[in-house]
Amino acid sequence: MTDFYWELPTRGDGRRVATELGTRGGFGVGTAHSVATDLRPGRFGPFDELAQVIHAAELSGVDGVVAGYDPSGEESWIVAAAALRQTRHARVAVEFHPAFGTPVYASKMSATLQRLSGGRLEWRLAVETDPADARSRGDRVTGRDRYARAAEFLTVARGVWNDEEILPGGFGGTGYEFAGDYYDVIDGGFRGILSGLPFPVVHLTGDSEDALALSARHGDVHQFALTESGFEGPARTLAALAREHGRSVRTLLRVPVIARETSGEAWARVERLWREVHPGPGIDDPRALDRGESRWAGFDRLGHPQSIGLVGSYEDVARQLSSLRERGADGFVLLGRPHIEELHRAGEHLLHLVDPAGRTLATQEAHS
Amino acid sequence: MSIDFYWRIGMEGDHASLRTPRRYNRGDAGGHRPGNIAPAIRGGELDGYGYIDHMAAVAKASESAGFLGGLLPSFPMTEDPWATAAALAAETTTYRFMVAFQPGFLHPVQAARMSASLQRATGGRLVYNIISGGGGAPQLWWGDKVDHDDRYARTSEFLDVLRGVWDGEPFDFDGRFFRTAGAALAPGLAGQPFPEVYFSGSSAAAVAAAGTHSDYYLSWLEPYADLRKKFDGVREQSAKLGRTPKFAVRIDIVARHTEEAAWAEIEKGWAFVDKDAANRAAQGDSVGAARIKGWVPEHITGYRDLEVQPNVWCGFSLIRGGPAFGLVGNYEQVAERLDELRALGVDAFILAGNPHLEEAYRVGEEVLPLLQRTSPITSGQDTL
Repeated sequence: MTDFYWELPTRGDGRRVATELGTRGGFGVGTAHSVATDLRPGRFGPFDELAQVIHAAELSGVDGVVAGYDPSGEESWIVAAAALRQTRHARVAVEFHPAFGTPVYASKMSATLQRLSGGRLEWRLAVETDPADARSRGDRVTGRDRYARAAEFLTVARGVWNDEEILPGGFGGTGYEFAGDYYDVIDGGFRGILSGLPFPVVHLTGDSEDALALSARHGDVHQFALTESGFEGPARTLAALAREHGRSVRTLLRVPVIARETSGEAWARVERLWREVHPGPGIDDPRALDRGESRWAGFDRLGHPQSIGLVGSYEDVARQLSSLRERGADGFVLLGRPHIEELHRAGEHLLHLVDPAGRTLATQEAHS
Repeated sequence: MSIDFYWRIGMEGDHASLRTPRRYNRGDAGGHRPGNIAPAIRGGELDGYGYIDHMAAVAKASESAGFLGGLLPSFPMTEDPWATAAALAAETTTYRFMVAFQPGFLHPVQAARMSASLQRATGGRLVYNIISGGGGAPQLWWGDKVDHDDRYARTSEFLDVLRGVWDGEPFDFDGRFFRTAGAALAPGLAGQPFPEVYFSGSSAAAVAAAGTHSDYYLSWLEPYADLRKKFDGVREQSAKLGRTPKFAVRIDIVARHTEEAAWAEIEKGWAFVDKDAANRAAQGDSVGAARIKGWVPEHITGYRDLEVQPNVWCGFSLIRGGPAFGLVGNYEQVAERLDELRALGVDAFILAGNPHLEEAYRVGEEVLPLLQRTSPITSGQDTL
């Protein structure tokens, strides 16, 4: 079983690289009115478009979606709640940072979301947020202290959570106490309808020593970005650290993907997007960023949060994903744009090639 | 002038009627018994529906029945209103989500971001109910360390920051509880209508904290003379600050086609009430029920002892969780009592009744049309 997640758009969606040229989700600057009769204003809003991306993810068979934390984009809890209500199968990871509020309140909101989704909510904690963003919010916790705070946050959030069902008890708690550097709780703990639910699966990110140490103790899943130097080294370190605590942490790889029927078509797509951000004569050749094994190091120039991703035919890309899985990845967080179209490509052409066992009907296998 | 009528959503579960007191059979808070719905039992198994599906039904019933929206309260043992509003946004059209929350659980910039996205998800249907007090729970259950006396000051700062970043212009703030430096909602989120604010609290400290950001002072129903005193106090405090306050009242209603039928509902619920508990409440011994002390005889012999003025009954907290005071009467009487509250200066109402789904239709269809079209004149106050 290979887990596939999809990173949801935070600033709308569109066929172009630039956010402001996005035509879906309300973050673009808007285009001149066409001659087509348009009854949408006031009736069809940005979340109607986001709902279509979420629906596409659900129908395409990805196992989960991620609502990322983006100070310049849509708020992730609101996106995640909508996504959970609109889906039956997809897990939904909400990304937020510990300074967003109290850990008790994060758990409280999560309890409602676990109830309405049958336990499909997951968390991705953003520990290293952009320093300028943190400063603007008055968050004075910096550097390594951010990891200490995150550890306390996750300790308290789990502390008030009761996996076992506890009888209702009015306003009372279940005796959970915490007195830390960042958080305090007295007689906390969920009962009644807020108890007996699974705690959200916790995803963490980052390659630093502190990031891996936090994950080893508090993470369920660690997301590594695909890089030129690979993920195997940090993943081995994480596994060793986790073993010290008697734990194991699953590994997901974040991979932007441009896959088409043929390698030529995929590269044509790269060229077209590249020309959008590098117009005019004398431009760099995107092929210069080819790193072999279908890896291309230009995705950051196309608006993605990392440079390395995969470009090629469906078979090429599936082969590389399978190879990464053999090297220790338990699954992938895929990124692509425009989201609805790329989700369909992934669902129809890619996922079953990487994970045939999980994506072939058991009874059908006998026929073929 | 039109009046904003909201309806409440039960955030933990709901009763089929007040005749089955303190027993939720809608949702799963009362366990899984035959006759429960959302989830129901089919073929010996839970059917996969959940309380969120019933909440969606109540929200849509409120829309159909002509309510502007609904209050989503927040207590330690209940569903969370932000998560619920975001989940139900796409299933409703005109319904305004009045989200109850306490400053301190969320950073104001985070609250601003969630609010702006929720405005984008709903087409501007978010309303705030801001609560500074404890809401009945020990604050440290929530992990909130700020002392009671400081909470209004924090609320004031919270609203300053929330409003300050809203328009997307860099906002600097250096307060006791919050500090920002060039914080702003991103261009994609800025420009949404700022939610109306229903502010819980009426003391001088509350009025000062509500500042210029609050639209309504929200109060639970009390005897009308008390409400009048409270409103006068807020008016006086507001006048010192050069403001004209608006008022909202949250009221439970049992309305039937005849007064007898309404009281019969209460009588059936009363049959389940622990009479010793009722007397302890009347004597002010028990936490949470002390508010009816002084309004009822020291020794309660029957449910009508709790009718503190015509159609105003203070026994609701004895037959289900929540506020003590509510209105009981026929449709005309209840409409008249609401008109009298308008005459006292009430500008908006949050109504409630059990079960919330059916009573939304009943009150929307039978009571609201009886309210006077024009603002009631204040002479009615003489009889209060």
